[in-house]
Amino acid sequence: MSLVRTLKTSEAAALLNVSPNTLRAWERRFGYPKPQRSAGRHRLYTHGEVAALRDALQQGLSISSAVSRAREALSTDTHTLVGALNGFELLRADGAMECALALRSVERSVEEVLLPSLDEIGARFGLDSAPWAFAARWADSWLRRAQRLAPPPSRPLAILIGDATRNDLDPDALAMRAFELFCGRAGARVLALPVGSVAGLGDVVASLSPDAVVIAGNHVCDDDVARWAYRVRAASGHLPIALFRRTHDDPKVRGGAGSRVLPGTPFGAQRQLLALVDDRRGEQTAEIAARPLQIATGPRRKAQS
Amino acid sequence: MRRLRALHSVDVATTDLTLMSFCGHCGMPPALPPAASNSRVCGHCELGLVLQAPADVAPAGDEPFLVIDSTLSVCAVSARAEDLLGTDERHAVNRHVADFLVPADANAPGAENLLVLLVEAASGSGEPQTAVVRPRQEFGVRFRARIGPCGPPRAALLVLAD
Repeated sequence: MSLVRTLKTSEAAALLNVSPNTLRAWERRFGYPKPQRSAGRHRLYTHGEVAALRDALQQGLSISSAVSRAREALSTDTHTLVGALNGFELLRADGAMECALALRSVERSVEEVLLPSLDEIGARFGLDSAPWAFAARWADSWLRRAQRLAPPPSRPLAILIGDATRNDLDPDALAMRAFELFCGRAGARVLALPVGSVAGLGDVVASLSPDAVVIAGNHVCDDDVARWAYRVRAASGHLPIALFRRTHDDPKVRGGAGSRVLPGTPFGAQRQLLALVDDRRGEQTAEIAARPLQIATGPRRKAQS
Repeated sequence: MRRLRALHSVDVATTDLTLMSFCGHCGMPPALPPAASNSRVCGHCELGLVLQAPADVAPAGDEPFLVIDSTLSVCAVSARAEDLLGTDERHAVNRHVADFLVPADANAPGAENLLVLLVEAASGSGEPQTAVVRPRQEFGVRFRARIGPCGPPRAALLVLAD
C-alpha cells in the first residue's frame, strides 16, 4: 500500500501559484483542498488534490468551477471501484484503491472512495444481493489487509470495541472495521469482540486494560449489549462508553453521564473518541496532582489542632 | 434575435476591441498588471480568477455579472450577482443559466433569444449585444444585460445593468 505524498501549506501554495492565505481562504469557502493535520497540527495537503486543482485552474473560469472540476477528477476513483466490483474484478478493485491512495490518505481513501462505492452498490442491488456480498467481502478483506499494514501501537491507548453488527455483510460492520483501522493507525491498541461473547470476557479486559469502550452496530438487542457492557465494567471499573452507529439509547448500555454517541463516519468517530480519552486523562491527571496536597495538609492540620 | 441584433451596430471591428481585465468574483481590476503576476487569482478577494472582456462589456464598478460557457452552464457568479439573484456561486456553477435568468423582452421573437446570444458570445462569434432579462420566478424586475465574449478560456459574460 503506497504512502500518500503530502505538501506543507507553503509548498501547496507555491504549486498553485497563490499565497498561503489564499489557500486557507479557499479551504474556508470551498472546503477544498481539504488538508489533514500533522502531529503538530500543521496543515498537510495531498499532492493529488492540489495537482488536480492546479490543472483545473488553468482551464477554469472561476475558483468554484475549478474546484468542482478537481473534485470530479478525484471522484473517478469511486466510479472505477464501483465498475470493478460490479464486474467482480478483484484485482481491478485493488488497483482502484491503490490509485485512490496515491491521491489521498488511507482515512480519506476509505471514507471518500471505498465506503461510498459500497453504498452505491448496496443502493443499486440491495443488501441481500450477490453483488453486495461480493463487494462487502472484498471491502472487509481490504480493510483487514490495511490493518495488518498499519504501524504497531505507538501510544498508551487501548480501545475495546463491542461488535453489535449482524455479520460481515452488515454495512455497519464495514464502518466498524474502518473505525478499527483508523484507531489502529492513530497508534491505539484495538480489540473488537462480538457482544455475544461474555464467557472469559473479564480476562480479556484485564489483559487489554482498555481506556474506552465502543459499542458498534445496531443489530444486537439492548439487553444483550447491556449484559456485555456490565461484564466489561465489572472487570475494568468505570470506563467511558461510546456508541458508534447505534441508534438505541438504553441508559444501561450508555452507562450514565460519561457516555457519548460518536459521529456516524469512521474518521469523525475516531477523532471524537481520541478527544474523549484525552479529556478523561487530563481530568485524571488533575485529580492525581491534587491528591498529594491533601495528604500533605492532613498531618499539619492534626498538629495545629 | 434580429431585433436584438439591430439594437447594436454589427460592424464593430473585433480586432479593435480594447480588453479589460477584471476579477470573476469581485469584479475589480487585478492588483498587478497581468504581465507582472503569474497567477490568475485575484489579489483583492482571493476568491476569483482574473478574466478579460471587451471594454464595452466588462463590468464597471460593482455591476453584477455571470460567466456562462458554450453549454449554457454557469461558470462564475460575481459577489454582487450572488446577492441580487439570491444564490451562491458554489451552488450555481454547472447549472443551466435559465435556472437563474430568463428573457424578459415581451417583443422578442422567441424565448431562445437570450440563449442564442450567450452561445454566440461563448463561441466568440458574436459581437457585444444587449438583452432584457429577469430573474427566474420573479416578475416585474428587469435588467438590461450586456452580453459579450470573455475568457480565457472562451465564455460568455452577462453583465446585469439597470
